[in-house]
Amino acid sequence: MFKFFNGCLVVAVLVSGFFIYSLEHSTRALERQIAHEKKTISQEREAIKLLNAEWSSLTRPERLQKLAEEQLKLQPMVASQVVAEADLAAAVPDAALVKPSLDAADPIAAILEQMQ
Amino acid sequence: MGQSEISHADGKLKGQNRIRLLGIMFSVMFIAIAAQLGNLTLRKSGEVVNPEVAAHEAARPRPDIVDRNGVVMATDIAVASLFADPRKISDFDEAVELITATLPELDAKTLREKLTAPGRAFVWLKRQASPEERDAVYNLGIPGVGYVNERKRVYPLGRLAAHAIGYVDVDTKGIAGIEKFLDDQGALYTASLSEPATQTTAPAQVSLDMRVQQAVTDEVAKAIVKFKAKSGGGIILNTQTGEVLALASLPDYNPNSNDKRLTSDQQNKMTSGVYELGSVIKAVTFAMALDAGTATLTSSYDARFPLVIGSARISDFHAERRVLTVPEVFTYSSNIGTAKMALQVGVEGHVAFLKRVGLLDRLVTELPESAKPLLPKHWSKLASATAAFGQGFAVQPLQGVSVVANLINGGMAVPTTFMKRSNEEASILSTRLIRPETSLAMQKLFRLNVTEGTASKADVIGYRVGGKTGTAEKVIGGRYSPNKNLTTFIGAFPMDNPKYAILVMLDEPQASPETYGFATAGWNAVPTAAKIIERIAPLLGVTPVFTEEDKAKLEKLAKNAKKEG
Repeated sequence: MFKFFNGCLVVAVLVSGFFIYSLEHSTRALERQIAHEKKTISQEREAIKLLNAEWSSLTRPERLQKLAEEQLKLQPMVASQVVAEADLAAAVPDAALVKPSLDAADPIAAILEQMQ
Repeated sequence: MGQSEISHADGKLKGQNRIRLLGIMFSVMFIAIAAQLGNLTLRKSGEVVNPEVAAHEAARPRPDIVDRNGVVMATDIAVASLFADPRKISDFDEAVELITATLPELDAKTLREKLTAPGRAFVWLKRQASPEERDAVYNLGIPGVGYVNERKRVYPLGRLAAHAIGYVDVDTKGIAGIEKFLDDQGALYTASLSEPATQTTAPAQVSLDMRVQQAVTDEVAKAIVKFKAKSGGGIILNTQTGEVLALASLPDYNPNSNDKRLTSDQQNKMTSGVYELGSVIKAVTFAMALDAGTATLTSSYDARFPLVIGSARISDFHAERRVLTVPEVFTYSSNIGTAKMALQVGVEGHVAFLKRVGLLDRLVTELPESAKPLLPKHWSKLASATAAFGQGFAVQPLQGVSVVANLINGGMAVPTTFMKRSNEEASILSTRLIRPETSLAMQKLFRLNVTEGTASKADVIGYRVGGKTGTAEKVIGGRYSPNKNLTTFIGAFPMDNPKYAILVMLDEPQASPETYGFATAGWNAVPTAAKIIERIAPLLGVTPVFTEEDKAKLEKLAKNAKKEG
């Protein structure tokens, strides 16, 4: 009776030992993965910060103004060009000033060129 | 025999007792261990400090600074500083050759001298290197060459709004502007931005608008060149919320450069300098007289003769030599009339009003660079009369524009701020300064001064600009210098419900043929303000409204343009 009971206990110890070992093994793997992911997250955050700073530097109004003055033949908008919503119907010309040509590679650029 | 039997039985009993005792003790111990185990695993102890969390809190990241639209103005980036330990380097020739090939800015000779100097254990190769440089040097695989990770504060926008944002020292501690505010008075606010759960920090959002800032900086810079001025500045203020949308002080500096020894010209003149704003201050005197009821828009003042107080004579720059009505006193900028209005209120009343609007105290905003006003030592009758038209006391330009903003925004005193604020927050913070009717009268006077008075060049058709000019002679060696002027324009738009106040200031602008030999504010600061308003009004969403007169003016302008074209 006791022998059978002890045998059961030994088997139980072995089974639970194996179970605990495999559990710990997978836990360690998960922990490693978490640490890796955390590192990746902080790296990504750092990269986002750097890209944000770069974006901010590239789109700084000073630079855009200089580029616009060099590249675009556009003028600052004046008040008389602003039309209220109610007067919109009266402000639209009968014939379109520029016809968009859809076959051009860049239709909007083509319009801008025509306007100039 | 019986005795021995008893003793045998006794011994057996003793043995059983001993085992039982042992069993009890074991079970007590096991229960104690189990209880403690359960206690430690199931209950979370609050007293135990997780050392990892504590370390992270010590190195709390500095918040980014973004403008009101979320444009990044200041941020931290990771940089690596490269160093070498000469004791571990075996081949100096090879090491020097490899390092200088990767970092071409290093000089081979000095590097060799540094590395081979006896007894050196640590040599910086390059502070704050880029990630590419770090990898390149690290991949050389030279023993004794390594790097440490550091953080560096960068300002992607460069010079733009540098004065308001300020800068940090090498240890990323704020030493000027908003950066200093985040470390000192604003430390609580800074702490509220940090999110310990994700170990990140939300950005600090300032009230500045970079598009507006660029328009102001650009136009003031152009004006300085055009009028050969020494320096200049511009401010845009939201009159309803007290937010500063733009603050430019030129010449400025690059916050990214390591050398921050600024000249006195490069200081933030809009807040750390005090100036006699001149006739602009007349607006305050008018508001006082109208609010006290000693004058109305229909009263009139005799400006035929100079006003004599003791041995001093007060005369007019644009002398009309007749009796002027209150609006005329404003549009002709009559010193005599304004001084008389102040004298009617009385010295005590005048000082009390100046105190109430905040011209006698230091203007407190987030910026640590904030100068105290320079005031007369004794408020005599003469001091009061001259202060009425802005002579004899000097304030920060920002203070001047914020006071004017409070006088025309409906008469509410809103504290000026550099941090983003909502309308609701502003209305909680604001207190009544003058009666709404007085504020309405001030709006009329300001608008009138642009349509008919000294600030006529500020009339950007459609945007209903109103404003007051000021040309103050600079005090040099204790005397007013007649040919060195400080010209100022303080205005607001749209005048039927002023939302934005503007200040433009030029230091020593010169007369030119284009200005017909004039160097007063109406010829330099005012047209500059007009150019700024024309650029920023569409950005700020101000809808233009045209009266019949405006339409006629526009048609005339279009005809002239056709003739010329």
